[in-house]
Amino acid sequence: MRRNVPAPGIFLLLAILITGISQPLWAHAILMQSKPAANSTVKGPDLPIWLKFNVRVDGSRSRLQLNGPDGSAVSLEATKQTAPNILESRATGLKAGAYKLHWQVLASDGHISRGEVDFTVN
Amino acid sequence: MLKLVDIFGYLSVLLRAGTLVGQSFLLGGVLFLFWIARPSKEVSADALGRVQSSTLRMFRIAAIGLVIVQLLYLYVNSAVLMATAEIGLRDVVGANFFLAGSVMLAASLLAALIAGSQGRYVPHCLSLLVVIVLAASVMTNHAAARVDGRAWLIFLTVLHEASTGFWIGGLPFLLLGLYVAGDRPTQWYLTQRFSRLALVSVAVLVLSGVGMSLAYVGSWHSLVGTSYGVMLIAKAAMLAAMLALGGINFLMLRKYSPTDVVPRLRRLVEAEVGIGITIVLAAASLTSQPPAVDLVNDTVGPSHIWARFKPELPRLRSPEASALSTRLPGQVVSPLDPSRQVIAYTSEGAPLSLRTLNDRKWSEYNHHWMGLIVIAMGILAVLARTGHAKWAENWPLLMIGIAIFIFLRGDPECWPLGPKSFWTTWADPEIFQHRAAALLCLAFAVFELRVRRNPSQGRILPLIFPLLCAVGAALLLTHSHGNANLREEALTELSHTPMAVLGVIAGWSRWLELRLPPEDRTIPSWIWPLCFVVIGAGLLNYREI
Repeated sequence: MRRNVPAPGIFLLLAILITGISQPLWAHAILMQSKPAANSTVKGPDLPIWLKFNVRVDGSRSRLQLNGPDGSAVSLEATKQTAPNILESRATGLKAGAYKLHWQVLASDGHISRGEVDFTVN
Repeated sequence: MLKLVDIFGYLSVLLRAGTLVGQSFLLGGVLFLFWIARPSKEVSADALGRVQSSTLRMFRIAAIGLVIVQLLYLYVNSAVLMATAEIGLRDVVGANFFLAGSVMLAASLLAALIAGSQGRYVPHCLSLLVVIVLAASVMTNHAAARVDGRAWLIFLTVLHEASTGFWIGGLPFLLLGLYVAGDRPTQWYLTQRFSRLALVSVAVLVLSGVGMSLAYVGSWHSLVGTSYGVMLIAKAAMLAAMLALGGINFLMLRKYSPTDVVPRLRRLVEAEVGIGITIVLAAASLTSQPPAVDLVNDTVGPSHIWARFKPELPRLRSPEASALSTRLPGQVVSPLDPSRQVIAYTSEGAPLSLRTLNDRKWSEYNHHWMGLIVIAMGILAVLARTGHAKWAENWPLLMIGIAIFIFLRGDPECWPLGPKSFWTTWADPEIFQHRAAALLCLAFAVFELRVRRNPSQGRILPLIFPLLCAVGAALLLTHSHGNANLREEALTELSHTPMAVLGVIAGWSRWLELRLPPEDRTIPSWIWPLCFVVIGAGLLNYREI
């Protein structure tokens, strides 16, 4: 991100300029809780995944992807939602190392949000 | 693909803003047509006929606009979802946003078609279609996605959006009606009826807004410590400005005769329409942010706010351009440069290396000098206003300084400060925008100077400056600053949002100065220069470290 130019300096022209410059963050849906928790260490090789959001999410149109320590990426299938704001899945055959779980959800109000959870398997 | 989500995020705010503005126009239009401009023995049927015809025309334009916005919304959101979630169109069709968007699209298309036809049931059909548009809109609002208290929040949202439409969406139709009515009795009739309706709408708007704020914000702490809360305060401040104008109208209507009131009323309503649309833009921005109540661990506390905003001497010494992170092209420098050595922390605890620290000092220096220039512009404009310093009318010349400043310091990696050549960097969109802004500043300096030296430059040209001032400030209000850290984002909003609100007020007060009868220009003519001074002071206290 660069903010070398004062944003509201002349607030009339620069605002137009800056709306184009910024790389916006539109985190509409927020991950409130997760298992595994962010930056936690868990036991493998099989791992239940549970994500709780602040809003209702459309499970069938949301995506989970697990990036492993060897750089591999695996898509995880979300199971049937037990609550409107919960996404669940299961990762199997995990080796020891650092993992990154990428999530992308479609909130009920149409906003697409994404994020990630880092954890380690020992 | 991930970039797509970010780009869509920004686009979605614009499309959401278009939706809210469109639906407000439809709500306001239908109410104006069938309630405010109802036939009466008090006024001429011809005049009311003209008002109704023009209202229907504007209603159709708004409906067609909403159709276009919904088409874009459905296309963009579906395309992004299909690309990022790797699903087909068939799977997208069942999504809530797709259903709601399609319903709104169909309803507004039908409304546009029916508004052009004659018939006994046209009012009923249009009213029903507008209700459907409102219902579909609410289904893509925060309320629809909440886990708890959903029904109650949907109810409050319906009240809030409906009253917004009846009042803010009705104002453009009132303005149009005042222009086309042609006779004072009809203008008076329309104004009186709208005034009564506006009173009720404002009451519902405020009460439902307070109810939703309690649910979405939850505490005073969240109100000032999150981007959502700050935007809500901005919305309330602009609502207060609009209510002040509405209050003046209300008092005028009850104290003076139609001949005295109507010319002034039209000008005040113009400003009300502008501020009202800005409020709707802010509302669109709010719907794209997580509610403050959900940011349990990302709320900025009073001590952090004080640490960032406590008055300090401005930074008037800049680091060398060669010491910035932009001198390390292609290397990862955020948050640390390759030396990996942390030498400072932000007030939020983010680590800074020497080069990233220098980046922030560079930015603060830019803001602070810009603050000094804007303060000088404001003071000169105040001096010019007193009538005792004719030379101060040349204050737009300072904008040339701003243009040079942007050109030199906006892109320190480029010529003349950096190694990249002037001509090869035009393809970079960020650099291109900086240079375009510098050129625009230059053009405006020359243009506004001409207006000031020769006030008889026509009626339209002088209005461009205040209009762009208000539009620019509104855009500043609605954009995200791109901080990955939500607490940093809240602090940035806290510094930028008040300036954006002041920009909106400055723009519309200058507009009123130009548009009101000469004897009523005193107050607005003082407001906008003072806004400049306060904005400059805000810039002077801007901090990133």
